[in-house]
Amino acid sequence: MRRYETIFIADPDLQEDARKNLFDKYKNLLVQEKGILIDFDDWGNRKLAYPIKKKARGHYVCMTYGGIGVLVTELERNFRLDDKVMKFMTVLLEKDVTASALEAEIAAAAQPEEVKEATPAAAQPEKVKETTPAATQPEEVKEAAPAATQPEEVKEAAPAATDEAADEVTEAAEADTPEEAKTPETETAEAAQEEK
Amino acid sequence: MAFQKKNTKKRFFQRRKVCRFCADSTLEINYKDAKALRPFITERGKIIPRRITGTCAKHQRKLAVAIKQARTIAFLPYVGKLS
Repeated sequence: MRRYETIFIADPDLQEDARKNLFDKYKNLLVQEKGILIDFDDWGNRKLAYPIKKKARGHYVCMTYGGIGVLVTELERNFRLDDKVMKFMTVLLEKDVTASALEAEIAAAAQPEEVKEATPAAAQPEKVKETTPAATQPEEVKEAAPAATQPEEVKEAAPAATDEAADEVTEAAEADTPEEAKTPETETAEAAQEEK
Repeated sequence: MAFQKKNTKKRFFQRRKVCRFCADSTLEINYKDAKALRPFITERGKIIPRRITGTCAKHQRKLAVAIKQARTIAFLPYVGKLS
């Protein structure tokens, strides 16, 4: 099983319930194709860097899930047919993950914040996996996730969740280097002049 | 003449550029973080060569991929406006 991340831009002018229907449709599709939805992140309306379908804004959604290639092709086929989806992109994050490792991750994400902070990042998610790739159906996964509230599992799975936090880290680090940040920009001005 | 000009230019001390991502390992190249990628593109939207930014080859490769992915999903422009 592989871990993918799909970002799609939905129509920003959709009504609230229409949008919810749209999201549910793809969530269901994911389950149907034997995928495991890890994270469904709704970023809301954001400005686009360039107009798509003559619209300056878009509703961004980021899905992280585990699945196989067939799932991706099916998902993308549906995106193409759907008028409400303006653009999409799928990125492969990890080539080899087990279903059980993903389940553990979902369970960790379901835990309260305090537990996550208490466990420092040490191991990578791949190392977490236990060799029991039982053919679990997605429906079972959802039920099992909140149930797994044993502290042992939490500790193992928590480092995986810290990967998502890496984004925030980069932003913070960016603020630390204002001097270096200037150099490319000034050079840019020079480059622009050369172009002329 | 050209030779001389080059010589005088060399006399100015130029600070050795270091790869930002090597210097700070907490920095991560991610296409979703458009703000972090901004310093590496011109205002026209072009990827700045590493001889200017000082990024190492390994990170420049990752950077280029990240910028291209960000363009695909409209985080960064393909063509920026000249302001």
